[in-house]
Amino acid sequence: MSLLKKNKLVFIFSVVALLAIGVGYGYQYIFMSPKKVVEITPKLTAGADEFNNLMDENLPSWIGKVVQITGKATQVTQDGILLNGSIYCQFENSQDIQSITKNQNIVIKGKLVGFDELLMETKLNQCIIIQ
Amino acid sequence: MTTNKILIVLCFLLSLQLQAQKYYTRSGSTQFEGSEKAFEPIAATNTSTTVILDTRNGNIVSQVFMAGFQFKNALMQEHFNENYMDSYQYPKATFKGNLDGFSMANLKTSTTFDLNGVLAIKGLEKNIQTSVTVRQQDNRMFISGVFFVSPEDFDITIPSIVRDKIAKQIQINIDYELIEKK
Repeated sequence: MSLLKKNKLVFIFSVVALLAIGVGYGYQYIFMSPKKVVEITPKLTAGADEFNNLMDENLPSWIGKVVQITGKATQVTQDGILLNGSIYCQFENSQDIQSITKNQNIVIKGKLVGFDELLMETKLNQCIIIQ
Repeated sequence: MTTNKILIVLCFLLSLQLQAQKYYTRSGSTQFEGSEKAFEPIAATNTSTTVILDTRNGNIVSQVFMAGFQFKNALMQEHFNENYMDSYQYPKATFKGNLDGFSMANLKTSTTFDLNGVLAIKGLEKNIQTSVTVRQQDNRMFISGVFFVSPEDFDITIPSIVRDKIAKQIQINIDYELIEKK
């Protein structure tokens, strides 16, 4: 076998291998599920009051962002908690709520979805307890 | 002084009146499904819908955040928010309507009411006529129903490359469990 032929084989083989890798990554990219809050570094770490001030300034820029907030659980309901009376947090695992008691100080991380004008609350989704 | 007292008592009574007659939830489930022979189902669920029902007159208001829709697929979710719904510019959809002939009587069994109202998405309004079932159990009110909307009504343009994969009529399922507002 000439050197050229041998090189040709190697070349074809590497192209096929590269294609397979590309397709694999492409497939993963197309079908990957949304990142969980736990995997995302928070864009903001703040106390509840500071957070509220920032939201008053420019809430739209925070939509969809992950934030970490320290506050007091002023209300604990079946499906979430209220931090400092104005930040409503829903949890990734609803069992987490059971470990929270009213007026407890807590640090949570969650995704901001928007400001609820009906109830005048900022809403966070998929929250997890940090501390 | 006396007028003030009367006013305070009146306000107090009024507030009692108001409190007892509202039901609400912050975590209602709104789901949509728009698949048409698609490679992957085009569907997402939002479990943070706010709904308030006034039981005196059957008025209902609700609000759903676009960013709260969870897809199985990250890319689809990104396209939904960035290309189709412009979620950063129009973060929410709202609905204001009325349950026709609503009354608290006979809600122990599922009762069907006509629901008429206005749905606003991306700043555009569209009348919705549908029927929903309402049931009351203990201090909870369950509302569920299905209706259809078409993307064109809300100026949602679908690129021709995926047009065949997205249904002309998007099915919206609502499933809300309301509690008495205290």
